[in-house]
Amino acid sequence: MRPCSPQTFLCLLLESVLPDPYREAIIGDLIEQYTLRVESTSRFRASCWFWSQACRSVPPMVWCWLCSGNCFLNMSVAVGVFIVMATLKFAADLTISKLVSPDQTTDVILAPIVFLTITAIGGCVAARIRRGATLFLALMVTITVAILIELKVCSSPVPWWYQFGFLTLGPLAVMITPTLFGPLKQQGSVT
Amino acid sequence: MKRGELLGSLEHIILLALVRLEGGAHGMIVRREIEERTGRNISIGAVYATLARLEAKGYVSSFAGEPTPQRGGRATRLFRVEAAGKRALQISEQTIRSMSAGLKDRWGTI
Repeated sequence: MRPCSPQTFLCLLLESVLPDPYREAIIGDLIEQYTLRVESTSRFRASCWFWSQACRSVPPMVWCWLCSGNCFLNMSVAVGVFIVMATLKFAADLTISKLVSPDQTTDVILAPIVFLTITAIGGCVAARIRRGATLFLALMVTITVAILIELKVCSSPVPWWYQFGFLTLGPLAVMITPTLFGPLKQQGSVT
Repeated sequence: MKRGELLGSLEHIILLALVRLEGGAHGMIVRREIEERTGRNISIGAVYATLARLEAKGYVSSFAGEPTPQRGGRATRLFRVEAAGKRALQISEQTIRSMSAGLKDRWGTI
């Protein structure tokens, strides 16, 4: 049985976003209900229900977790990791500029690779220190990228989807990588 | 529960649902009970967020259940009402009852 197969990405996202100790229970409830709905209605309708429930469930859970008192500690960890990430990015850019001759094409290709690698590492480190810090870190990455896009720091002209990629994939890398590769991956399979 | 402090509407409804379900129920069962009785379509996240709040207040307690294949191998979390929760419900009900006492005739004019 593959009860969550059409929602693999969503399950992964929920696993990254939802706070402990109710994460497992919420995702489990959704999968169980989805399976029942697939049997009683159609797969499409069950998927719609799953998506709507998942999207509506995140804000109250995140708000509840933000009000729980761990907020300051998580934010401190996120700021610390963010500073390390910024330093790493600066060092990587410096090394690349010394190793490779400054060329716009190389820059456009290497920039997302470096960026995503650093955000993924940052996400894993933050999650290892405090699980809740990843949410703040993702938020900080989003804000920083948005500001950089607005300030037009990119030297070469790039299409909108290139910038949009940074804006969406950066926070996603922070949130999802710890769930995918980190020690936090639970025994529950996201099939 | 402090004097004068009332339960929120969702807190109230969820506590009542847990009392009805007896023994221990997980979030989705609570959600379904509320939907069937009130017609309110609330998200599972809102149910769990409220249950978390109630647990922090000591009105409900939770324990982990067994993971099942139907749940993708994920454990369930069962909730039950504690004595403090039942007391809070009684106080809340009493307050609402005393506030609405004698207003039955006025409903038509409001």
